[in-house]
Amino acid sequence: MGEQNTPDIHTRITERLRQIQYPGSQRDIVSLGLVGKVQVQADSVVVHIRASSIKEDVLRHLRGRITQELTTFPEIAHVHIHAFPAQAGQPNQAGTAGNQAVRERADIPGVRRILAVASGKGGVGKSTVAVNLALALASLGHKVGLLDADIYGPSVPLMMGTEATPQAGQDKKIYPVEKYGISLISMGFFLDDQSPVIWRGPIVMSIIRQFLRDVLWSELDYLVVDLPPGTGDIALTLAQEVPLHGGVVVTTPQDVALLDVQRGISMFKQVNVPLLGIIENMSFYECPVCHEKEEVFGHGGAQKTGLKVLGEVPLVEEVRAGADAGKPVVVSAPDHPVAQEFFGIARQVVATEEMQLPQSIH
Amino acid sequence: MPTPLLLTPIPEDQLLRVLWDDDTLNDYPFAYLRGWCPCAVCQGHGGERHFVKAENPQLVSINMVGNYAVNPIWDDGHETGIYTYVYLRSLGESRDNQHSHDNPERTL
Repeated sequence: MGEQNTPDIHTRITERLRQIQYPGSQRDIVSLGLVGKVQVQADSVVVHIRASSIKEDVLRHLRGRITQELTTFPEIAHVHIHAFPAQAGQPNQAGTAGNQAVRERADIPGVRRILAVASGKGGVGKSTVAVNLALALASLGHKVGLLDADIYGPSVPLMMGTEATPQAGQDKKIYPVEKYGISLISMGFFLDDQSPVIWRGPIVMSIIRQFLRDVLWSELDYLVVDLPPGTGDIALTLAQEVPLHGGVVVTTPQDVALLDVQRGISMFKQVNVPLLGIIENMSFYECPVCHEKEEVFGHGGAQKTGLKVLGEVPLVEEVRAGADAGKPVVVSAPDHPVAQEFFGIARQVVATEEMQLPQSIH
Repeated sequence: MPTPLLLTPIPEDQLLRVLWDDDTLNDYPFAYLRGWCPCAVCQGHGGERHFVKAENPQLVSINMVGNYAVNPIWDDGHETGIYTYVYLRSLGESRDNQHSHDNPERTL
Protein backbone atom coordinates (compact mmCIF):
# COMPACT_ATOMS: atom_id res chain seq x y z
CA MET A 1 0.00 0.00 0.00
CA GLY A 2 1.01 3.63 -0.51
CA GLU A 3 1.05 4.37 3.22
CA GLN A 4 4.29 2.44 3.72
CA ASN A 5 6.48 5.36 2.69
CA THR A 6 4.61 7.95 4.72
CA PRO A 7 5.50 8.23 8.42
CA ASP A 8 2.50 7.74 10.64
CA ILE A 9 0.45 10.74 11.62
CA HIS A 10 1.84 10.88 15.19
CA THR A 11 5.40 11.17 13.93
CA ARG A 12 4.43 13.82 11.43
CA ILE A 13 2.57 15.80 14.09
CA THR A 14 5.55 15.66 16.45
CA GLU A 15 7.88 16.72 13.66
CA ARG A 16 5.60 19.64 12.94
CA LEU A 17 5.40 20.65 16.61
CA ARG A 18 9.20 20.74 16.62
CA GLN A 19 8.93 23.69 14.26
CA ILE A 20 7.33 25.78 17.00
CA GLN A 21 9.79 27.81 19.02
CA TYR A 22 9.19 28.81 22.60
CA PRO A 23 8.98 32.62 22.87
CA GLY A 24 12.26 34.09 24.07
CA SER A 25 14.18 30.93 23.24
CA GLN A 26 15.70 29.20 20.22
CA ARG A 27 14.32 25.90 21.45
CA ASP A 28 11.15 24.17 20.33
CA ILE A 29 8.24 23.14 22.49
CA VAL A 30 8.84 19.40 22.05
CA SER A 31 12.44 19.43 23.26
CA LEU A 32 11.43 21.60 26.20
CA GLY A 33 9.16 18.78 27.31
CA LEU A 34 6.03 20.89 27.04
CA VAL A 35 4.27 18.46 24.71
CA GLY A 36 2.88 15.42 26.48
CA LYS A 37 0.50 12.94 24.94
CA VAL A 38 -0.76 13.44 21.40
CA GLN A 39 -3.97 11.56 20.60
CA VAL A 40 -5.42 11.21 17.14
CA GLN A 41 -8.94 9.99 16.57
CA ALA A 42 -10.59 10.19 13.17
CA ASP A 43 -10.04 13.78 12.02
CA SER A 44 -9.34 15.18 15.51
CA VAL A 45 -6.10 15.58 17.38
CA VAL A 46 -5.69 16.29 21.09
CA VAL A 47 -2.36 17.79 22.18
CA HIS A 48 -1.64 17.68 25.90
CA ILE A 49 0.61 20.44 27.18
CA ARG A 50 2.31 19.44 30.42
CA ALA A 51 1.73 21.44 33.56
CA SER A 52 4.62 23.88 33.82
CA SER A 53 5.45 27.41 34.81
CA ILE A 54 4.18 28.66 31.46
CA LYS A 55 2.49 32.05 31.61
CA GLU A 56 -1.05 32.53 30.34
CA ASP A 57 -0.07 34.86 27.51
CA VAL A 58 2.69 32.53 26.27
CA LEU A 59 0.27 29.62 26.41
CA ARG A 60 -2.28 31.59 24.42
CA HIS A 61 0.36 32.29 21.79
CA LEU A 62 1.38 28.63 21.61
CA ARG A 63 -2.23 27.45 21.34
CA GLY A 64 -2.58 29.62 18.27
CA ARG A 65 0.67 28.36 16.77
CA ILE A 66 -0.14 24.68 17.39
CA THR A 67 -3.59 25.00 15.87
CA GLN A 68 -2.17 26.87 12.91
CA GLU A 69 0.48 24.22 12.25
CA LEU A 70 -1.69 21.14 12.71
CA THR A 71 -4.66 22.29 10.67
CA THR A 72 -2.39 22.30 7.64
CA PHE A 73 -2.61 18.48 7.66
CA PRO A 74 -5.37 17.45 5.26
CA GLU A 75 -6.46 14.60 7.54
CA ILE A 76 -6.86 16.88 10.61
CA ALA A 77 -10.01 18.96 10.93
CA HIS A 78 -10.05 19.66 14.67
CA VAL A 79 -7.24 20.55 17.05
CA HIS A 80 -7.84 20.41 20.79
CA ILE A 81 -5.24 21.58 23.26
CA HIS A 82 -5.32 20.53 26.90
CA ALA A 83 -3.10 22.69 29.04
CA PHE A 84 -2.45 23.82 32.57
CA PRO A 85 -0.89 27.23 32.98
CA ALA A 86 1.03 28.03 36.14
CA GLN A 87 -1.29 28.70 39.02
CA ALA A 88 -0.96 31.69 41.22
CA GLY A 89 -1.07 30.85 44.87
CA GLN A 90 0.68 31.27 48.12
CA PRO A 91 3.77 29.17 48.63
CA ASN A 92 3.68 26.08 50.80
CA GLN A 93 0.25 24.92 49.84
CA ALA A 94 -0.04 21.34 48.77
CA GLY A 95 -0.10 20.81 45.03
CA THR A 96 -3.20 19.88 43.15
CA ALA A 97 -3.78 16.15 43.10
CA GLY A 98 -2.75 14.27 40.00
CA ASN A 99 -1.49 17.35 38.25
CA GLN A 100 2.08 18.45 38.78
CA ALA A 101 1.81 22.16 38.85
CA VAL A 102 4.17 25.04 39.20
CA ARG A 103 2.87 27.71 41.48
CA GLU A 104 3.79 31.20 40.47
CA ARG A 105 4.50 33.60 43.23
CA ALA A 106 1.23 35.34 43.78
CA ASP A 107 0.90 39.01 43.08
CA ILE A 108 -1.24 41.08 45.39
CA PRO A 109 -4.56 41.56 43.60
CA GLY A 110 -4.86 45.07 42.21
CA VAL A 111 -1.34 46.14 43.21
CA ARG A 112 0.73 46.97 40.19
CA ARG A 113 4.19 47.76 41.55
CA ILE A 114 5.76 47.09 44.93
CA LEU A 115 8.62 49.28 46.11
CA ALA A 116 10.63 48.42 49.21
CA VAL A 117 12.35 51.15 51.21
CA ALA A 118 15.19 49.68 53.23
CA SER A 119 18.31 50.57 55.13
CA GLY A 120 20.94 48.49 56.79
CA LYS A 121 21.15 50.79 59.77
CA GLY A 122 18.42 52.12 62.03
CA GLY A 123 17.84 55.79 62.66
CA VAL A 124 18.71 57.05 59.20
CA GLY A 125 15.19 58.35 58.63
CA LYS A 126 13.91 55.49 56.57
CA SER A 127 10.30 55.86 57.67
CA THR A 128 10.44 59.62 57.14
CA VAL A 129 11.67 59.01 53.62
CA ALA A 130 9.12 56.25 52.97
CA VAL A 131 6.21 58.42 54.13
CA ASN A 132 7.26 61.45 52.12
CA LEU A 133 8.10 59.37 49.07
CA ALA A 134 4.69 57.68 49.19
CA LEU A 135 2.95 61.05 49.47
CA ALA A 136 5.09 62.50 46.69
CA LEU A 137 4.14 59.58 44.43
CA ALA A 138 0.48 60.22 45.26
CA SER A 139 0.75 63.91 44.43
CA LEU A 140 2.16 62.95 41.03
CA GLY A 141 -1.29 61.45 40.44
CA HIS A 142 -0.73 57.83 41.36
CA LYS A 143 -2.76 55.57 43.60
CA VAL A 144 -0.44 54.74 46.47
CA GLY A 145 -0.42 52.45 49.49
CA LEU A 146 2.06 52.41 52.36
CA LEU A 147 2.77 49.24 54.30
CA ASP A 148 4.66 49.78 57.52
CA ALA A 149 6.59 46.52 57.84
CA ASP A 150 8.38 47.64 60.98
CA ILE A 151 6.34 45.46 63.32
CA TYR A 152 8.46 46.13 66.41
CA GLY A 153 8.74 49.88 65.96
CA PRO A 154 5.87 51.13 63.83
CA SER A 155 6.16 54.87 63.27
CA VAL A 156 3.92 55.44 60.26
CA PRO A 157 0.74 56.19 62.30
CA LEU A 158 2.47 59.01 64.18
CA MET A 159 4.12 60.43 61.08
CA MET A 160 0.87 60.30 59.13
CA GLY A 161 -1.09 61.75 62.03
CA THR A 162 -3.72 59.06 62.33
CA GLU A 163 -4.67 56.63 65.01
CA ALA A 164 -7.67 55.23 63.24
CA THR A 165 -8.43 51.56 63.65
CA PRO A 166 -8.62 49.63 60.39
CA GLN A 167 -12.13 48.37 59.74
CA ALA A 168 -12.82 44.69 59.29
CA GLY A 169 -14.24 43.58 55.97
CA GLN A 170 -15.66 40.24 54.91
CA ASP A 171 -13.70 36.98 55.09
CA LYS A 172 -11.32 38.24 57.78
CA LYS A 173 -10.07 40.98 55.49
CA ILE A 174 -9.02 44.41 56.73
CA TYR A 175 -9.59 47.80 55.17
CA PRO A 176 -6.50 50.00 55.19
CA VAL A 177 -6.65 53.43 56.85
CA GLU A 178 -6.88 56.35 54.44
CA LYS A 179 -4.94 59.57 55.09
CA TYR A 180 -3.76 62.37 52.80
CA GLY A 181 -5.02 60.35 49.84
CA ILE A 182 -3.01 57.20 50.45
CA SER A 183 -3.88 53.82 51.99
CA LEU A 184 -2.00 52.77 55.11
CA ILE A 185 -1.47 49.69 57.19
CA SER A 186 0.75 49.51 60.24
CA MET A 187 1.11 47.39 63.35
CA GLY A 188 0.76 50.67 65.19
CA PHE A 189 -2.95 50.73 64.34
CA PHE A 190 -3.46 47.63 66.44
CA LEU A 191 -1.48 48.66 69.52
CA ASP A 192 -1.72 51.05 72.44
CA ASP A 193 0.95 53.67 72.45
CA GLN A 194 2.96 51.97 75.14
CA SER A 195 2.45 48.30 74.48
CA PRO A 196 5.56 46.68 73.05
CA VAL A 197 5.48 43.96 70.44
CA ILE A 198 7.35 41.06 72.01
CA TRP A 199 7.13 38.41 69.36
CA ARG A 200 9.41 35.92 67.78
CA GLY A 201 10.05 35.67 64.06
CA PRO A 202 7.30 33.26 62.96
CA ILE A 203 4.51 35.42 64.41
CA VAL A 204 5.96 38.53 62.84
CA MET A 205 6.19 36.75 59.50
CA SER A 206 2.53 35.80 59.68
CA ILE A 207 1.62 39.45 60.36
CA ILE A 208 3.58 40.50 57.28
CA ARG A 209 1.71 37.87 55.25
CA GLN A 210 -1.58 39.22 56.56
CA PHE A 211 -0.60 42.79 55.71
CA LEU A 212 0.11 41.64 52.16
CA ARG A 213 -2.73 39.20 51.62
CA ASP A 214 -5.57 40.12 53.96
CA VAL A 215 -5.61 43.88 53.50
CA LEU A 216 -8.09 45.12 50.92
CA TRP A 217 -5.61 47.29 49.09
CA SER A 218 -7.98 47.99 46.21
CA GLU A 219 -6.33 49.26 43.05
CA LEU A 220 -2.87 50.66 43.66
CA ASP A 221 -0.23 51.86 41.24
CA TYR A 222 2.47 51.65 43.89
CA LEU A 223 2.67 49.90 47.23
CA VAL A 224 5.54 51.39 49.22
CA VAL A 225 6.86 49.07 51.89
CA ASP A 226 8.71 50.63 54.80
CA LEU A 227 11.05 47.85 55.94
CA PRO A 228 12.55 47.67 59.40
CA PRO A 229 16.30 48.23 59.62
CA GLY A 230 18.57 45.28 59.02
CA THR A 231 18.33 42.11 57.01
CA GLY A 232 16.21 39.85 59.18
CA ASP A 233 13.01 37.84 59.08
CA ILE A 234 10.74 40.61 57.89
CA ALA A 235 12.84 41.60 54.90
CA LEU A 236 13.33 37.98 53.91
CA THR A 237 9.65 37.10 54.29
CA LEU A 238 8.72 40.01 52.11
CA ALA A 239 11.24 39.02 49.45
CA GLN A 240 9.88 35.46 49.46
CA GLU A 241 6.16 36.18 49.60
CA VAL A 242 5.75 38.68 46.83
CA PRO A 243 7.62 39.76 43.75
CA LEU A 244 9.23 43.02 44.84
CA HIS A 245 9.63 45.13 41.73
CA GLY A 246 12.34 47.31 43.15
CA GLY A 247 14.05 48.61 46.23
CA VAL A 248 15.59 51.86 47.36
CA VAL A 249 17.99 52.17 50.25
CA VAL A 250 18.24 55.09 52.64
CA THR A 251 21.47 56.11 54.29
CA THR A 252 23.16 58.98 56.03
CA PRO A 253 26.52 60.08 54.66
CA GLN A 254 28.75 58.71 57.42
CA ASP A 255 30.81 55.56 57.13
CA VAL A 256 29.06 53.74 59.97
CA ALA A 257 25.79 53.90 58.09
CA LEU A 258 27.40 52.89 54.82
CA LEU A 259 28.85 49.76 56.33
CA ASP A 260 25.34 48.55 57.21
CA VAL A 261 23.86 49.84 53.99
CA GLN A 262 26.23 47.58 52.07
CA ARG A 263 24.61 44.63 53.81
CA GLY A 264 21.18 45.86 52.82
CA ILE A 265 22.37 46.20 49.23
CA SER A 266 23.78 42.66 49.28
CA MET A 267 20.49 41.33 50.59
CA PHE A 268 18.57 42.85 47.68
CA LYS A 269 21.10 41.36 45.28
CA GLN A 270 20.83 37.90 46.82
CA VAL A 271 17.07 37.84 46.53
CA ASN A 272 17.22 39.30 43.03
CA VAL A 273 15.35 42.53 43.72
CA PRO A 274 16.44 45.37 41.42
CA LEU A 275 17.98 48.30 43.29
CA LEU A 276 16.65 51.55 41.91
CA GLY A 277 19.03 53.74 43.86
CA ILE A 278 20.03 55.28 47.14
CA ILE A 279 18.65 58.26 49.03
CA GLU A 280 20.99 60.19 51.25
CA ASN A 281 19.11 61.56 54.23
CA MET A 282 20.40 64.21 56.67
CA SER A 283 22.75 65.01 53.85
CA PHE A 284 23.65 68.47 55.13
CA TYR A 285 22.36 71.18 57.45
CA GLU A 286 21.63 74.59 56.06
CA CYS A 287 21.75 77.39 58.58
CA PRO A 288 18.38 79.15 58.40
CA VAL A 289 20.03 82.52 59.07
CA CYS A 290 23.22 82.59 57.02
CA HIS A 291 22.34 79.74 54.60
CA GLU A 292 25.73 78.18 55.02
CA LYS A 293 25.70 74.44 54.43
CA GLU A 294 27.23 72.25 57.04
CA GLU A 295 27.81 68.54 56.36
CA VAL A 296 27.20 67.17 59.81
CA PHE A 297 27.55 63.52 58.86
CA GLY A 298 30.30 63.94 56.32
CA HIS A 299 30.06 64.10 52.59
CA GLY A 300 29.43 61.90 49.60
CA GLY A 301 28.59 58.67 51.39
CA ALA A 302 25.84 57.62 49.05
CA GLN A 303 28.07 57.94 45.99
CA LYS A 304 30.52 55.47 47.47
CA THR A 305 27.98 52.66 47.13
CA GLY A 306 28.06 52.96 43.35
CA LEU A 307 24.27 53.13 43.28
CA LYS A 308 22.36 55.86 41.55
CA VAL A 309 21.83 58.70 44.01
CA LEU A 310 18.14 59.54 43.77
CA GLY A 311 18.29 62.50 46.11
CA GLU A 312 20.03 64.25 48.97
CA VAL A 313 17.59 65.25 51.68
CA PRO A 314 18.95 67.91 54.01
CA LEU A 315 18.57 67.93 57.76
CA VAL A 316 15.87 70.56 58.24
CA GLU A 317 13.51 71.42 61.02
CA GLU A 318 10.44 71.15 58.77
CA VAL A 319 11.02 67.46 58.05
CA ARG A 320 11.41 66.55 61.71
CA ALA A 321 8.49 68.73 62.83
CA GLY A 322 6.26 67.44 60.06
CA ALA A 323 6.91 63.84 61.05
CA ASP A 324 6.28 64.50 64.73
CA ALA A 325 3.13 66.49 64.06
CA GLY A 326 1.68 63.93 61.68
CA LYS A 327 1.90 66.30 58.73
CA PRO A 328 4.77 65.21 56.50
CA VAL A 329 6.56 68.06 54.80
CA VAL A 330 5.39 66.97 51.35
CA VAL A 331 1.82 67.69 52.52
CA SER A 332 2.38 70.57 54.92
CA ALA A 333 4.85 72.57 52.84
CA PRO A 334 4.94 71.20 49.30
CA ASP A 335 6.84 74.27 48.05
CA HIS A 336 9.66 73.88 50.53
CA PRO A 337 12.94 72.85 48.84
CA VAL A 338 13.04 69.66 50.88
CA ALA A 339 9.57 68.68 49.67
CA GLN A 340 10.75 69.43 46.16
CA GLU A 341 13.64 67.04 46.74
CA PHE A 342 11.13 64.29 47.57
CA PHE A 343 9.12 65.08 44.43
CA GLY A 344 12.35 64.77 42.46
CA ILE A 345 13.03 61.38 44.02
CA ALA A 346 9.48 60.24 43.27
CA ARG A 347 9.80 61.31 39.63
CA GLN A 348 13.07 59.39 39.26
CA VAL A 349 11.55 56.31 40.85
CA VAL A 350 8.55 56.23 38.50
CA ALA A 351 10.86 56.78 35.54
CA THR A 352 12.79 53.57 36.18
CA GLU A 353 12.13 50.60 33.98
CA GLU A 354 11.24 48.46 36.99
CA MET A 355 8.48 50.83 38.09
CA GLN A 356 6.75 51.12 34.71
CA LEU A 357 3.09 50.35 35.27
CA PRO A 358 1.71 47.40 33.36
CA GLN A 359 -1.15 48.25 31.04
CA SER A 360 -3.65 45.88 32.59
CA ILE A 361 -4.19 44.43 36.01
CA HIS A 362 -4.34 40.66 36.12
CA MET B 1 21.53 36.15 38.00
CA PRO B 2 20.42 33.18 35.86
CA THR B 3 16.63 33.09 35.76
CA PRO B 4 14.42 30.21 34.66
CA LEU B 5 12.10 30.94 31.74
CA LEU B 6 10.24 27.66 32.02
CA LEU B 7 10.06 24.83 34.54
CA THR B 8 8.46 21.61 33.32
CA PRO B 9 8.15 18.50 35.47
CA ILE B 10 8.12 15.44 33.20
CA PRO B 11 6.76 12.59 35.35
CA GLU B 12 7.17 10.00 32.55
CA ASP B 13 10.92 10.61 32.60
CA GLN B 14 11.05 11.31 36.35
CA LEU B 15 12.73 14.65 35.89
CA LEU B 16 12.33 18.40 36.02
CA ARG B 17 13.38 20.23 32.87
CA VAL B 18 14.47 23.86 33.24
CA LEU B 19 14.91 26.37 30.43
CA TRP B 20 17.05 29.32 31.51
CA ASP B 21 16.91 32.84 30.14
CA ASP B 22 20.26 32.30 28.34
CA ASP B 23 18.66 29.34 26.52
CA THR B 24 20.53 26.72 28.53
CA LEU B 25 18.47 23.59 29.15
CA ASN B 26 19.02 21.46 32.25
CA ASP B 27 17.41 18.20 33.33
CA TYR B 28 17.09 17.35 37.01
CA PRO B 29 16.06 13.77 37.75
CA PHE B 30 13.76 13.87 40.77
CA ALA B 31 16.14 11.72 42.86
CA TYR B 32 19.05 14.02 42.02
CA LEU B 33 17.12 17.20 42.79
CA ARG B 34 15.79 15.86 46.06
CA GLY B 35 19.15 14.41 47.10
CA TRP B 36 20.79 17.83 46.85
CA CYS B 37 18.06 19.57 48.84
CA PRO B 38 19.77 22.51 50.54
CA CYS B 39 17.45 22.80 53.55
CA ALA B 40 18.68 22.55 57.10
CA VAL B 41 16.62 19.42 57.71
CA CYS B 42 18.59 17.62 54.99
CA GLN B 43 21.95 19.32 55.43
CA GLY B 44 22.14 20.23 59.09
CA HIS B 45 23.94 23.44 59.91
CA GLY B 46 27.38 24.09 58.56
CA GLY B 47 29.76 21.77 56.78
CA GLU B 48 29.82 20.75 53.16
CA ARG B 49 26.64 19.95 51.30
CA HIS B 50 26.06 16.24 50.89
CA PHE B 51 23.70 14.03 48.95
CA VAL B 52 20.74 12.78 50.99
CA LYS B 53 19.17 9.79 49.34
CA ALA B 54 15.37 9.62 49.28
CA GLU B 55 13.37 6.58 48.21
CA ASN B 56 11.71 7.20 44.84
CA PRO B 57 10.85 10.86 45.45
CA GLN B 58 7.96 12.24 43.40
CA LEU B 59 7.58 15.93 42.68
CA VAL B 60 4.10 17.15 43.59
CA SER B 61 4.46 20.81 42.70
CA ILE B 62 6.87 23.70 42.68
CA ASN B 63 6.42 27.07 44.34
CA MET B 64 8.23 30.08 43.00
CA VAL B 65 9.88 31.99 45.85
CA GLY B 66 10.09 35.76 45.39
CA ASN B 67 12.34 36.68 42.47
CA TYR B 68 15.17 34.36 43.33
CA ALA B 69 14.35 30.74 44.15
CA VAL B 70 12.14 27.68 43.68
CA ASN B 71 10.64 25.47 46.37
CA PRO B 72 9.78 21.90 45.32
CA ILE B 73 7.04 20.03 47.17
CA TRP B 74 7.62 16.26 47.39
CA ASP B 75 5.10 13.47 47.80
CA ASP B 76 6.43 12.50 51.23
CA GLY B 77 5.56 15.98 52.48
CA HIS B 78 9.08 17.37 52.36
CA GLU B 79 8.78 21.04 51.43
CA THR B 80 11.55 22.97 53.17
CA GLY B 81 14.04 23.16 50.32
CA ILE B 82 14.52 26.61 48.83
CA TYR B 83 16.78 26.31 45.79
CA THR B 84 18.11 29.71 44.72
CA TYR B 85 18.42 30.16 40.98
CA VAL B 86 22.20 30.29 41.42
CA TYR B 87 22.21 26.98 43.31
CA LEU B 88 19.81 25.30 40.89
CA ARG B 89 21.95 26.39 37.99
CA SER B 90 25.09 25.04 39.65
CA LEU B 91 23.32 21.71 40.20
CA GLY B 92 22.47 21.60 36.53
CA GLU B 93 26.02 22.45 35.50
CA SER B 94 27.68 19.94 37.78
CA ARG B 95 25.38 17.26 36.42
CA ASP B 96 26.25 18.27 32.86
CA ASN B 97 29.95 18.00 33.63
CA GLN B 98 29.59 14.42 34.74
CA HIS B 99 29.93 11.83 32.04
CA SER B 100 27.76 9.38 33.89
CA HIS B 101 24.40 10.84 34.72
CA ASP B 102 23.36 8.15 37.12
CA ASN B 103 25.69 8.94 39.98
CA PRO B 104 24.77 12.31 41.37
CA GLU B 105 26.66 11.65 44.61
CA ARG B 106 29.54 13.96 44.05
CA THR B 107 30.58 17.15 45.74
CA LEU B 108 29.67 20.39 44.10
